[in-house]
Order: sequence, then structure tokens, then C-alpha cells
Amino acid sequence: MSCLHDHSCEDHNCSADWSLHTHIDLSKVSALNEAVAGSVKSVFKPWNRRLDTSEGFLESNDGDPELLVFIPFTSDVKIKSISVVGGSGGTSPSKMRAFINRDGIDFSDAQNMQPVQEWDLNENLQGLLEYQTRYSRFQGVGNLTLHFPDNFGGDTTQIYYIGLKGEATQLKRDVVATIVYEITPNPSDHKTRADAGSLAHVE
Amino acid sequence: MVLEATMICIDNSEWMRNGDYSPSRYQAQADAINLICGAKTQSNPENTVGVLTMAGKGVRVLVTPTSDLGKILACMHGLEIGGEMNLTAGIQVAQLALKHRQNKKQKQRIIVFAGSPIKYDKKTLEAIGRKLKKNSVALDVVDFGESDDGKPEKLEALVAAVNNNDNSHIVHVPPSPSALSDVLISTPIFTGDGEGGSGFAAAAAAAAAGGMSGFDFGVDPNMDPELALALRISMEEERARQEAAAKKAAEEAAKQEKVGEQASSSQDAAMTEAVDTSAVVADDKKQNLTDDEAALLEQALAMSMDGAKSTSVDITDADMSDATAEDPELAYALQMSVQETAKDSSSQSEMSKVLEDQSFVSSILNSLPGVDPNDPSLKDFLASLQGQSETQQKQKEDDSEKGGDK
Repeated sequence: MSCLHDHSCEDHNCSADWSLHTHIDLSKVSALNEAVAGSVKSVFKPWNRRLDTSEGFLESNDGDPELLVFIPFTSDVKIKSISVVGGSGGTSPSKMRAFINRDGIDFSDAQNMQPVQEWDLNENLQGLLEYQTRYSRFQGVGNLTLHFPDNFGGDTTQIYYIGLKGEATQLKRDVVATIVYEITPNPSDHKTRADAGSLAHVE
Repeated sequence: MVLEATMICIDNSEWMRNGDYSPSRYQAQADAINLICGAKTQSNPENTVGVLTMAGKGVRVLVTPTSDLGKILACMHGLEIGGEMNLTAGIQVAQLALKHRQNKKQKQRIIVFAGSPIKYDKKTLEAIGRKLKKNSVALDVVDFGESDDGKPEKLEALVAAVNNNDNSHIVHVPPSPSALSDVLISTPIFTGDGEGGSGFAAAAAAAAAGGMSGFDFGVDPNMDPELALALRISMEEERARQEAAAKKAAEEAAKQEKVGEQASSSQDAAMTEAVDTSAVVADDKKQNLTDDEAALLEQALAMSMDGAKSTSVDITDADMSDATAEDPELAYALQMSVQETAKDSSSQSEMSKVLEDQSFVSSILNSLPGVDPNDPSLKDFLASLQGQSETQQKQKEDDSEKGGDK
């Protein structure tokens, strides 16, 4: 069995490389257009179980091959390469477009926006193909969104495994949450040293 | 308690002037929307609700999703009725408004009030439904007002296309004297996806439906297990008592019918029925009275029963004297039945014992903390029990009548 790595897989344990799945915040992983809600979580697992479909797999709705997968991480990661195992019979995805650090992308956004990188995929039933990223663009990734717009002609798109290779930093990207500024200003909050002794007084 | 952003699409087209829903279709719709907004914001404080109109000059967003209930209610004032509803544009604008919600963690939901005829065909609606499903937006449709050919089917097809795991619902509301909002309160549109409802919805449902909000006795066994248990025990005791009383009454009825086999038999039957129903009605009333009044009523009841007994016995005496001469078998039967009526009077005392039991039961209810025996929901439930046992009794009497006639 040939492996695209430059060594034979029996000597080297490939699964140690594909360890970024441990840094994925699985509870917040979501997908759009999945046939079974929550099935996207079964796609992230250790490399040696990549062909194991006992816990289900990600499938799109009938007649609609588009899939959108949102992957948040527990800490910022650097992604070196991505591997995708699809289904047989034309259900493997044929293209992949990646967006990083964007919340709440839906299909119309994904179709209109320019991705950080996109790839043409081949059918990868054994999970040995990996797609390298432009590493400089994938530093400090807080969340990753993968858009699969098309497949090889099947009715639905099936994905059994998504693997991520790279490093995890211990940093967490600072996200500015909803900040409520002053709804009505309260002058007493804004006393300056000049006001303290003046005769004028703002109510 | 699901975190949700909801957009409500109002139909303010010309068809809303119609008065087949009181006071007018538009007003009924507005009331229902007010209730829905309240329910949504109460079930989870971070829920947001927005409103848009589909008719008039065009689709117009009145308020973007916000959790401020006052703002939502205020924007419903002074809406003009007119024009034609544009369902597809309304749904698409609602979807856009939801896309730009502030809190991306909220689930997206659209509630559509469809009162006017729909000019789009099924295919278009299904395509829109699939697009909503793809972007995981849930859809609830309230089908009211105009019901031309195909409108219910079109809306059903739309909701079926959106539906993913039972998150979308459709409700058809025909014109009726009850308000639109009352009908909606018990639907999943109000109560959420099978959670059993927030406190608001459950309380409103209980008030509207008389305590049968899906739980036995109108009390949630999770919230108050002791109360639920006490109510269940008292119901079983009551049922046992009812069965015993029904049995006695049926026997009584059978005996008294045998006694009056001639024309007066129908009178007796009527009287026994009257006695039985009065007994049942009296029992019914008993539930609602305090123990003092119950004792007084018991006395009166006993007296009236004795009175009825004596009059029936008088009539039967008259019959006996007439008939005995002619029919020795009849005389024998009369004799036997007289003996049994004597037995009946003893059973009467048993019944009064059971009645006392009833006061015992109601005193149990009184002593339970938090149980108000004058609680309308409790009364209704016990009354329905009475009604059931009444119909059971009537059936038994009918059966015994048929048996007697043969």
C-alpha cells in the first residue's frame, strides 16, 4: 500500500501527526445541509480510525451536494495540511474552500466570499491523500470553515473523516464579544479633576 | 429553553378586514402575535423576536430581532391594512434578517401568519422550503382566514420541505367563536419543540384548557410529586366509591323496576333515575361544599331518599293489592322485591358510610398543603369523573331495564 508520505507507514506512526483533532471544540462543531443533525461530529477522530464508520458519517441532504462544516478550536492552531476521506460512488467532495476565523458563515456567504485557499480534491477512499495549506495564511486559526460545493456526481455528498495536521499553540485568539457601550451617558461617571472644584455642575 | 431568534411575518393584506375571527382577522392575528412574543421572550431571556409585514406597499421589517418586548408591541400599533401578501419575499427577507442577528448562537425560526390566498405554486414554495432547511432555519405556519383550493396543501408542502427533525409545524385554524390565540396556545408553535412548554405557555394552557395541559391532574409530577401522588390517591379512592355507589344504585334500580311492572314501572324507573341522578348530582355538589354544608346536605339527601322510597313503596303497595289477586307469581315477585328493598335500605346506610368516606376524602384534600378543593381545575376533573360514572350508571340502568322487560 503506497503512502504519499516519504516513508512507509508501518515504521512510522502516522496518527501522531494528525493530532489536531484533539484541539477541536467538538461540542461547538456544526454543519449546514447535513441530513442528520449532529452527524458532523463523527468525522473528527484519530487517524487510525479514519475508515471506521460505526459512529456514522456526515452526509448531505438528498439531491444537494453542498456541505459547510464549521470547526472551532480550543486554542489557536497552525494548520499544515488537511485530509478528507469521502464516500464511494461519486459521493466524495470534489472541491474544498477554506475560511478562517469567521463566525456564522452560511451558504450564500460561502459562495460569494473569497476563500483563504481552495483545493480540487481527488477521491480519497483510503485517506492517504493530504492537501497542503499555504502555511503562512494558516497561522493562529481560532476556527476553520470548510465549504464543499460539489461532488463527483453522486446524489449526496458523504464525508467519513476530516484530518488536520499542524501544531497547536497555547494561545487563545481574543474575540471581541458584544460590548454594550453607554446607552445614555451619565456625567457623574465622567468627572474630571477640573469639574471637582468648579461652580458649574452638570446634572 | 432553546436559544432562538424568531422573525414573525404578519399578513396585513385586504383579506384581514374580514370579521369571521373575532373581532377581525387582523386583530386576532395581532393578539396572537403579542402572546407569542411574550412566550418566546419569557422562555429564554436571551431570545430575540423581530416582526415584519408582508403586504401593504411591500415587505417591510418593523423591528429587527430584539429581546425588548415593549419595542415589539409598540411597533404593532398603527399598522395599515391593505395590499396583497407576498409570501416568498416575506420569507426571504425574514431569512436575511435572521442571518444578521447579533448572537450567532441563536437558532433561527420564522413564524408566518398566512391569512390571504397564496398565488405561488407548490414547486416554488418547496424550493424556498429546501433553502430554509439547508440554512437550518425552522418555519412555523399559521393557516387561517381564506381557505381556497390548495392553500392548505401548499402550506403543508412548504412545511414538509423545511421540516428537519420535527422543528417546523403548521396549524390550520378554522373560524370559530374562540380566539385565535386560545387555539394557538396549545399548539407546538407556542409550547416549543416538545419541551412541555415554558412556565408562561403551560400556565396559559392550563387556564385555557382547564388544567389538562398534558399532565395528569394539571400538576407536573416533576415539580410537585407529593401533590401529584395525593391527587392520584384521592382519585382512586373516589373511583372506588363511585363504583360501589353505582353498583348499589343499579341494584336499587333493578329491584324497583321489578316491583312496578305495570304502567307505574316507568314512573318508578323515572323516579329511581331521578333519585340516582339527584344522588349523583348531590355528590357532585358535595365536592364543592365545605364539610359543614356537606353534613347538612347528607341529611337532606337521606331524608329525600327515604321519602322517595316510601312513596315508591306506597305505589307498589297499591299495585300489589291490585295485582296480587290476579297473579300469584307477581305477588311472589313483589314479596321478594320488598325483602330486597329492605336490604336496600341497609345498603343505603352503607352508601351513607361511603358518603362519609367522601367527606373524609375531601378532608384529606383540605389537609394537603397547597390543595384547594375549590380549585376549578380540580372541580372540573372530579366533575368529569362524576359525569363518567353517571353515564356508567345510566348504561347499567338501561341494561337492567332491558333485562327487566324481557
